[in-house]
Amino acid sequence: MPDPFLYLSASGAAALASAIPFLAISALVMARARRIASINAPASTSVHGTGPQPGSATGWPAACVVAMGLGLAVGSFVLLRRSVWPPSSALERLLTVVIPAVLIIEWIAGLQRVPHWFTWLLRIGLAAMIPRILWHGSVYLSGADSQWEAWQSATAWLLCSVLLASVWGLLGRLAERAPGASLPFGLGLTISSAGLTIMLAGYIEGGAMAFPLTAALLATTGGVWLARTCSDSLPRAKVAADRDTSSNCRSLMNSGGAAILGIGIAGLYGLLFIGHFFGRLSTMTAMTLLLSPLLCWVTEVPFLRHRHPWLVGSLRLAFVAIPLAVVLILAKRDFDRDMAPLLSLLIP
Amino acid sequence: MRNRYHMSLVTLVMSTLIGAIAMPASAADEYAYDLVHSSVSFKARHLGISWIHGRFNEVEGKFSLDREDPTKSTFELTIKVDSVDTANAARDEHLRQPDYFDTKQFPTITFRSTKVKAIDGGYEVAGDFTMHGTTKNITLTLTGGKEHDFKGTKRVAFSTELSLKRSDFGFDKRAIGPIGDEALIIIDCEGVKK
Repeated sequence: MPDPFLYLSASGAAALASAIPFLAISALVMARARRIASINAPASTSVHGTGPQPGSATGWPAACVVAMGLGLAVGSFVLLRRSVWPPSSALERLLTVVIPAVLIIEWIAGLQRVPHWFTWLLRIGLAAMIPRILWHGSVYLSGADSQWEAWQSATAWLLCSVLLASVWGLLGRLAERAPGASLPFGLGLTISSAGLTIMLAGYIEGGAMAFPLTAALLATTGGVWLARTCSDSLPRAKVAADRDTSSNCRSLMNSGGAAILGIGIAGLYGLLFIGHFFGRLSTMTAMTLLLSPLLCWVTEVPFLRHRHPWLVGSLRLAFVAIPLAVVLILAKRDFDRDMAPLLSLLIP
Repeated sequence: MRNRYHMSLVTLVMSTLIGAIAMPASAADEYAYDLVHSSVSFKARHLGISWIHGRFNEVEGKFSLDREDPTKSTFELTIKVDSVDTANAARDEHLRQPDYFDTKQFPTITFRSTKVKAIDGGYEVAGDFTMHGTTKNITLTLTGGKEHDFKGTKRVAFSTELSLKRSDFGFDKRAIGPIGDEALIIIDCEGVKK
């Protein structure tokens, strides 16, 4: 039976686990940036100074990966309260195989010397493997109990992989083109809506997993925002060094944002995949939920693109929220029609 | 002509001997599970005051009985979990979900005997019971086993009951809710001799 207190506990634990290490790392990085900026100040007067880089190029993306990973690990442990190794269900494979793989890839993606094309190759490769991993041992793969022919499995596998890679690519492209906190917040909104929808469709544990995922994502995003605020508040006396620090921090936070988005998208996709193929989530509902974050692209139209960032961010969240609201209303309607009579039999 | 007769006789004797050696000396009778005259049903507590009943409609299996050496008898049963039927379509659909049987991941419940012992009135059968991805060794007491000839077809029937906890087989304890953890499974099996 649903346990709201448990979900709040798991979400709180995930948020705390994500925020604390990230803030600690942020504080260390900022302290180092100030120290190096004070060393650089007398000699360097141009933006492209010859002094050492004010801060680690890999610090922020790695911090995001660590924060998200810790948050998810703690949150899922509080929620499930059982060992998930070796994994026997699709949800356990998502937590023990898929999510760690995404974390590793996003860590690699955050390294300065890794070419952009290689990063995307890894992501596409993972997108191709996720369906196989989640279907492992199920009726969807060939075997004595298989309900699909081999060609059906292959076709579905291909379509699912292409779908994930497309959504991941489009959202990643938008994050590079027009970054902002609205993207992870929109993704968080979608993940939590997906969780509620999956629960209303009858898979309670799977849907509940969305809450620590959302909490970890939002807490990490909040940590990045806080670190950005700290970087903006650096003393302006050493202008060139400060500009180096600030611009490096912004670009690095963009890289950190890519990690947050990547982990969030993979988590969202995994939950919807499980909800559809193992639960009762319909194809239309799953597709709507997966594609909703892409509505952020609407703000790239010319007359919106250069508006105030707060307006653009708010519009993005509004555009994403519309289909989510429709999905939730329909899910509630279906729940009242199918499950409520059953619950009236179970609960006096 | 006499040589040809002699060779044919030798060939016949040799063939008979070879056939006798090749064929295992088996006294076991093979029986196929008769779905029409068998049932696998279960019941579980509701709120601790009543019972919810259900059954599985798709079951297959076989068993072999060696009357001379019962320890050589074997029993196998495979239940298609998707066929769960509690007379309520919404509840059946809910039971197929990952929170309960997770039929897409664990489509069958199986029992394979590992040790059989004849007892008064039937057999004591130990074997591997696999449900929801978890295998445990359990012991069933089968009552019955008398052979009945009906219109030239030999039939044997057994009955057994077993009680198990769903939480022992990987079911989420929190998903159990008002339905009790313990379930009683009743198997009435009739086999048709092959």
